[in-house]
Amino acid sequence: MTEPRIVVCMKVVPKPEEIHVNPQTHLLERANVRTEINPPDMNAIEMALSLQNQYGGMVEILSMGPPSFEHDLRVGLMMGAEHVYLLSDRAFGGADTLATTYTLAQGIHKLGDVDVIMLGEESSDGATGQVPQGLAEWLDLPQLTLLTDLELDIQARRARGKRVLKGGYERLEVPLPCVVSVKTACNEPRFMDFRLKAWAADPARLTVWSAQDLNTDPDCTGLAGSPTTVTGLAAAALRERKKIQINGTHEEIAARLAELVRGLQ
Amino acid sequence: MTASLYSPAAARKEIWVYLEQEEGALLHISLELLSKGRELADANGWRLVGLLLGAKVAHLVDQAFAHGADAVVLGEHSLLRHFTIDAYAQAAFQALMSGKPGVFLLGATHNGRDLAARLAVRLRTGLNADCTNLHLEPPEGLLISEVSGFGGGVLALIGMPQHRPQMATVRAGVFNVSEETPGRKGEVLTFPVVLDESKLRTRILERNVAEGVDISQTPLLVAAGRGMGTDLAELRQLASRLGGELGVTRPLVDMGLVERERQVGQTGVVCSPKLALCCGISGAFHFVVGIEKAGTVIAINTDPDAAIFESADYCVVADARLIIFELNKALAAVGEAEHD
Amino acid sequence: MTNDDALPLDDALWQRLLELTDGDAALCFQCGECTAACPWGLVRKDGLPVRTLLRKAQLGIGQIDRELWLCTTCGQCQVTCPRGVDIPGVFRALRQIAWEQRRVEKGLPSMLWSIHWNSNPWSQPPSQRCAWADGLDLAPFDPHKHEILLYIGCTSSYDRRARKIALALVFVLKKSGVAFGYLGNDEPCCGEAALSTGQLPFFKEVAAHTTNVFKEKGVTRMMTLSPHCYDVFKNHYPDQNPGFEPLHYTQFLAELVEQGRLAFDKPLHLKVTFQEPCYLGRLNGEYEAPRRVLAAIPGVAIKEMKDSHQDGLCCGGGGGRMWLETPAGERFSDLRVQQAVETGASHLLTACPFCLACLEDGAASLKSPGLSVLDVAELAAAALKGENA
Repeated sequence: MTEPRIVVCMKVVPKPEEIHVNPQTHLLERANVRTEINPPDMNAIEMALSLQNQYGGMVEILSMGPPSFEHDLRVGLMMGAEHVYLLSDRAFGGADTLATTYTLAQGIHKLGDVDVIMLGEESSDGATGQVPQGLAEWLDLPQLTLLTDLELDIQARRARGKRVLKGGYERLEVPLPCVVSVKTACNEPRFMDFRLKAWAADPARLTVWSAQDLNTDPDCTGLAGSPTTVTGLAAAALRERKKIQINGTHEEIAARLAELVRGLQ
Repeated sequence: MTASLYSPAAARKEIWVYLEQEEGALLHISLELLSKGRELADANGWRLVGLLLGAKVAHLVDQAFAHGADAVVLGEHSLLRHFTIDAYAQAAFQALMSGKPGVFLLGATHNGRDLAARLAVRLRTGLNADCTNLHLEPPEGLLISEVSGFGGGVLALIGMPQHRPQMATVRAGVFNVSEETPGRKGEVLTFPVVLDESKLRTRILERNVAEGVDISQTPLLVAAGRGMGTDLAELRQLASRLGGELGVTRPLVDMGLVERERQVGQTGVVCSPKLALCCGISGAFHFVVGIEKAGTVIAINTDPDAAIFESADYCVVADARLIIFELNKALAAVGEAEHD
Repeated sequence: MTNDDALPLDDALWQRLLELTDGDAALCFQCGECTAACPWGLVRKDGLPVRTLLRKAQLGIGQIDRELWLCTTCGQCQVTCPRGVDIPGVFRALRQIAWEQRRVEKGLPSMLWSIHWNSNPWSQPPSQRCAWADGLDLAPFDPHKHEILLYIGCTSSYDRRARKIALALVFVLKKSGVAFGYLGNDEPCCGEAALSTGQLPFFKEVAAHTTNVFKEKGVTRMMTLSPHCYDVFKNHYPDQNPGFEPLHYTQFLAELVEQGRLAFDKPLHLKVTFQEPCYLGRLNGEYEAPRRVLAAIPGVAIKEMKDSHQDGLCCGGGGGRMWLETPAGERFSDLRVQQAVETGASHLLTACPFCLACLEDGAASLKSPGLSVLDVAELAAAALKGENA
């Protein structure tokens, strides 16, 4: 490999503040909810495109979801990605992370030789943060998670990344190919390039693969392939703050605060 | 349905807790999980077992027993000295396939989450992330996890009835540590860690954790925003006096006043202190996310319309710098009175 | 003998710039009046080298500096230019090229993404756009029932301070018996932030979408709270419904005053001064409407600031600068509030949510407080209520 082939796994998610649990049915109300690309995936594609600017090669997008994902995924093409591969089939629906990572792995297998697979660290809906590692496991690949930056050594077939840790960081090195998860907000995603409008709208730049195309095992995809099941759903109780005003002179206020602080210690 | 590598029928009535350690000390989350694990085990008549991996960490077993573990499965190897996903996943997998527990809990730390996620796929089982509560239902010992999604707006109860181990990760601070029983005894089950070195593909080039600041665990957060100006001396003094930590909004980090580890908020640290004192902070959404879980929030801002007041229990419309100055004086006076 | 460090010239770049500016960029003959007029000269030692940037553009020198992003598009240079070059237009074109080279200020891509995902540049939830109007019972716009559309704009919808302008204006309109409606959560972004930061292709898309919404809803006469929205609807939106007539709200209120529909009977004894927003005054020639509204309030005396009308000093918020940091000590608004204080006025009035934010910031850092900053609508509402402002 002289120039890297990078695949970014992206998810289209509902805007979190618009999702509500129906108090009668206890199901998620999804109708008329606006969608967006999972924000951490925007950081992932930005990192991928930066690597492309540096090393050449190409960036492709892989996603699992219904056909309606197409509209938002093409935004990735407007940013500079080459192609969108959408894994779409009724059989994939209702998947938890085990089934999702299995399906994505089959997509990667079908794509052939890939050097780096990048994902945002978690998604704004499920927020499990388990998909990058699970995908790496199915593919039996090394992983670099929670990266704020990534370097490639093309000749030596290695990747080096700076990984966030509590109270610090570490620098790790793994051989290629590898799976990378990108730390949320570690970069500012480049805006769309409107010179790519025709490019992004080209029907040939989207490929949809079904369960048959991927030859997936029906026991491993979708609901059938998901060990976890939701037994109950509720709207989270909103925390109501007291909003009590404290008035007076600075000294009086300080005295009252001192009381509060000592009472809470 | 894809089956887990071992079935519910083959699983032992044991709750295993991953005892995450760093530099020869157990992380606080490990103790929290032991406490919760003890509670769940007692309710079901199950055993509580700690899984301890590392190099020269055997001395930690006593602390695990004191916090409720009946046994500790101990795997030591020189290549386990520092966490790498490759080595730890192999060792943990080896132990789990041997022990076959019904439940496996891990702390949702950076490394804990990585380990849990890879193991769950390796074991072909389910994993619930960042659980806010756990129940173990008799008689089969079904683990029901409470998790939140969609930015916290939705609460879900999740189970995995046909897969083992039932795995869950839990963030620090969700469960309390119960009182320890020093001197409590337990079983040490040492196992020889066998590592396929061809699969150890991660090289650590550099680690820089020691000097880091961690405000996520502080019981008292004193937070400064732009309204505090550039002189944080009084505020630091207050934090220190109260045994708390200083946190800041992003602009103060960008100005170079304070290290990034002290940035509170969505792209910084999410804290859950008993008390958060917000000084000169407007209260933009991305900051509020960082203090939402605080027990009590006090906000001081000169702007009566500041958004922070929507998220505060006590609201003070005033110049925070002046209030903090007076507060330090008031607390100092009380301190002196107590010493008399 | 060659100078290897000489800056390379790019003819293709020059061509592009000519196209983007409709040939305007060629008119400059480098007199330097623009640099002298630019308010950056008042706060920075080297000011903003407008002339030099124009020259670099003429020579097709691609390496445009960060100073490109200092421009607030206030237009002070344009009115001074002896050849009438649309200098803000040239800056927008240079910025467009900067976007193509991905040499833009941090924070601007995020602002544009927000317009794309949230229909507002403030990263606020689109589902909350009309939360400010909770409890007001405002009518959804109906062209058969309403004489005019009230277009709030993103800033007044979401910014806690600017919302008060909207609330005040709604009060004044209701009191005057105006039949008006609004678009609620369907109100589209005007896209001005994209235009002034040079993202012209994206602006065209936003404008096309907003135009469709206006057409579908049958919008003809409309008033905006922000002069930025007003300017963009008036000057940069082609293909509207016949009869499409954007107004700034002060123009509509001035009409109401003239028609006798808006009358102030309770006096407010105040000495005020007025900051004309660049986008209302200098760029669109509307100096009188806001002043007529103020003059209609008995007891209100207007004392003009040192630089007024066509010489009005910019607040510093235009040209995308509301999304960029201006270091303390370099803020035009600090100078402007000083000028306001010098008039002896107790109130500094304006008619733009950006001016309001910048000037309030400036007034807050004044050593001697006592200067209130208000929007014209707020003063009008206070006068109608008989309250002290």
